[in-house]
Amino acid sequence: MRLLALLPVFLATALSGATFPTIDYKHRVLPNGLEVYSVEDHATPTVAIQVWYRVGSKDDPEGRSGFAHLFEHMMFKSTKNMPSEMLDRLTEDVGGWNNATTFDDSTPYYEVVPSNYLETLLWAEAERMGSLNVDDTNFKSERDVVKEEFRSSVLTPPYGRLFYAIVRNSFEKHPYRRPGIGSLEDLDASTIDDVRRFHSTFYRPDNAVLIVVGDFEQAQLTKWVDQYFAKIAKPETKIPRVNVEEPVRKGERRAVEKVPNVPLPAVAMTWLAPAASHADAPALQILAAILGRGESSRLYQALVYKDAIAQEIDASAELMQDLGFFAVLSIMGSGNTPEQGEKALRAELKKLQDAPVPAAELEKAKNLLVTDALRERETNSGKAFALGEAIILGGGPAEVNRGLARLQGVTAADVQRVARTYTRDQKPVVLSYVAADEKKEGGE
Amino acid sequence: MRRAAVMGGILLMANMAVAQQATPPPPAPPRAANLPSPAEKTLGNGMRVIVVPKHDIPLVSARLMVRTGSEADPANLAGLAGITANLLTQGTTTRGAEQIARGIEALGATLNSNAAWDTSYVNVSVMSSRLEQALSFVADVARNPVFKTDEVERLREQSIDAVRVALQDPLSIARYVAARVVFEDRPYGHATTGTPDSLAQITREQIVAFHKRHYRPNNAVLILAGDVKPEVAFAAAEKLFGKWKSAPVKVTRSEGDAKVTDSKPRVIVVDMPDAGQAAVLVTRRGLRRVDPRYYPSLVANSVLGGGYSARLNQEIRIKRGLSYGATSTFELRRDAGPFSAYAQTKNESAAEVAGIIIDELDRLGAGELAETELTPRKAVLVGGFGRALETTAGIVERVASLALHDLPLSEIGAYIPGVQGVTGEAVRKFAASQLQGASANIVIVGNASAFIEALRKRFGTVDVIPVEELDLDTSALRKVKKAAFF
Repeated sequence: MRLLALLPVFLATALSGATFPTIDYKHRVLPNGLEVYSVEDHATPTVAIQVWYRVGSKDDPEGRSGFAHLFEHMMFKSTKNMPSEMLDRLTEDVGGWNNATTFDDSTPYYEVVPSNYLETLLWAEAERMGSLNVDDTNFKSERDVVKEEFRSSVLTPPYGRLFYAIVRNSFEKHPYRRPGIGSLEDLDASTIDDVRRFHSTFYRPDNAVLIVVGDFEQAQLTKWVDQYFAKIAKPETKIPRVNVEEPVRKGERRAVEKVPNVPLPAVAMTWLAPAASHADAPALQILAAILGRGESSRLYQALVYKDAIAQEIDASAELMQDLGFFAVLSIMGSGNTPEQGEKALRAELKKLQDAPVPAAELEKAKNLLVTDALRERETNSGKAFALGEAIILGGGPAEVNRGLARLQGVTAADVQRVARTYTRDQKPVVLSYVAADEKKEGGE
Repeated sequence: MRRAAVMGGILLMANMAVAQQATPPPPAPPRAANLPSPAEKTLGNGMRVIVVPKHDIPLVSARLMVRTGSEADPANLAGLAGITANLLTQGTTTRGAEQIARGIEALGATLNSNAAWDTSYVNVSVMSSRLEQALSFVADVARNPVFKTDEVERLREQSIDAVRVALQDPLSIARYVAARVVFEDRPYGHATTGTPDSLAQITREQIVAFHKRHYRPNNAVLILAGDVKPEVAFAAAEKLFGKWKSAPVKVTRSEGDAKVTDSKPRVIVVDMPDAGQAAVLVTRRGLRRVDPRYYPSLVANSVLGGGYSARLNQEIRIKRGLSYGATSTFELRRDAGPFSAYAQTKNESAAEVAGIIIDELDRLGAGELAETELTPRKAVLVGGFGRALETTAGIVERVASLALHDLPLSEIGAYIPGVQGVTGEAVRKFAASQLQGASANIVIVGNASAFIEALRKRFGTVDVIPVEELDLDTSALRKVKKAAFF
């Protein structure tokens, strides 16, 4: 992400449904392969423009972990007709904003601007899709920025390395095992030639989705999209795709991460989970909410409230395009150990494997997830993200309106079944996160 | 409904285009924006209720705020307002903590309570069809909390742990230290979160007394925004809060600007040898929210450090690659809160970053500010203002701030013209009197050995405090060496 820390957030399943304002999108495909989705909405005089490229951290070249994200930063530098940072002149300087995020499977570039700037931004997005014109000085300076981003998000905060370690330990073969922020060594190894190659390989109309939501007239938008994007040629080359089969875990695996400045140890457990488009995805999202969402959740009640052994808990179903993982974690309270946390996490999971969740608790989880989706849809930008996530994660655009029905359809038996299938019948990775100097102090 | 146009930046774009390059198509004429129209009513017991209808999404955000916050913490009890607010949701006369959590989450709602400097509040966000049920929880936790001993102890332990975690993060430490450096032993000098020592001293009786004294309808404002009709909201407020008993409340004030003389600016380093990065923070006393220089301060900050293309980020990140981001803010409170400018950078470049920030403060007060720079920085403020009003939570935030500071709600309509009316000369003048580099304190938390020499070379005397000797409960910032008294 260009402006904020690279967050340990994966795309959640988009939710919507009958009781809910639907997102009425129009769809077309240009002859060069560019997919275009648009949602006309005149509630505010702003427009959200997003271009999602079907390339992400999983496509980092060998020995270049973090490259897709570093490349994302370079997309704000110069093109044939734009000097560096011109995107900021066209957005921030007129009262809008821009950013981009490198996910595992995709990289969306997004802006919100006063709606009278729509044509200007379509021109700019077409411009950087068509060409980059970067120089070495630019590249090295931006690489330094990304290294600072790595230090700010991973090295400096007390739990910065926790998510990093969870990801690295959760997959054996699949490139999802490489955290998107990369490593300082791999970032240093990258070159400007890598940048040029990456653009010509992945940044092309037939590998992109344009989403426009907000205050515009459809006929006018169509004309502008044709005018600026249709002339970008579709390359003859094939788009390389990751095709790695993650092996089933043969046994339980344990890992210890020793980190400086960690006042309270933590423990995480992860299991492999299916792709975001899999039929079990909604039940896994609900399982995660039942375990970890809010103060009435199972883990909060047991670990933080009743036994008071944990400072913070979390549960999440991190489902990506190819596969995902299910994770529970506990940051321990003072004087409590990762071993105590693991035991409590296992006990809570076992209850959900052994008995169906009560109806009221199931309903609560659904209501929380539905309200989240409503909140996301308050803004044009939020609606565009909901649509982009539905498209990219394999379910397809219709999922933006169908997801809620799927979620509402989840039964207590489904939740119990996915708890068994994924967290009982599969093997966990157990990660302990402890202070680096713990042993030394203990020995004195 | 008021209408407001958003400024363009056509000139600037034309200037940027280089010969032989295609230029971007210019913008169309701007479209008008909608500003919210609040309705309000005061209940018989003095509680003010403000409603801002917005019906496009079936969602409501609401906040019950009392006009007293952490500034009312007694000197040795940092964290009292915060712990009182956090405990509201942990049990009432009729519901236990678990029942409250289950009840509110069953509605799909989120409920949280906390204290800021000038206010303590309960926030709720809920689907509009379940608004009244959610509001009944807000009323219950604000009016009838019981502060059970075991809940007090549980939260005390959690809060101490949370502060211990924050005290391993360079930027958090820098913020704690900055408050002590600017405000010394006066209000605003302490940590709103409390410190492990102060949290250990707070008693249940003090919490009960704090609640009794400050959580009163005549000291409270209820703000709702979203898919609700004003008459429906007023009726619900009457039903849920109408019988809440008023009592005289002395709104605790910190001190007026006039009484305060700032101490000589200091350069302080907290030495944390294994810090992954250094946090560099430049700070001084700023303004009150109701200061007549409010708009010049907003624009000056927008030019200096309020956004990606502001000067600090231009110099530190974009030109030199020294940080992921550099920012500045004025915290506008009932009394003058701090101004701060900060960035995180690798330990080796901490002194350089501090020098750049000081230089930029001086540059803003020294030179002319061109319209080509001023116009886009105003647009940043105007655009951000409009976007904040797109969400129900954003509307509540904006309206609550006006209500807290006794500003008329019509100020919402004054914001855009207020920003647009600030001239480059007004910014320069403001910066020359309020942002001189020589008036600012520098706080750096990081591995001192990597930057101390360069820092001394530029700034002279530096006070170095090893992180394990840091004491946030006193402006001396150091633990007293007990051995000295033997």
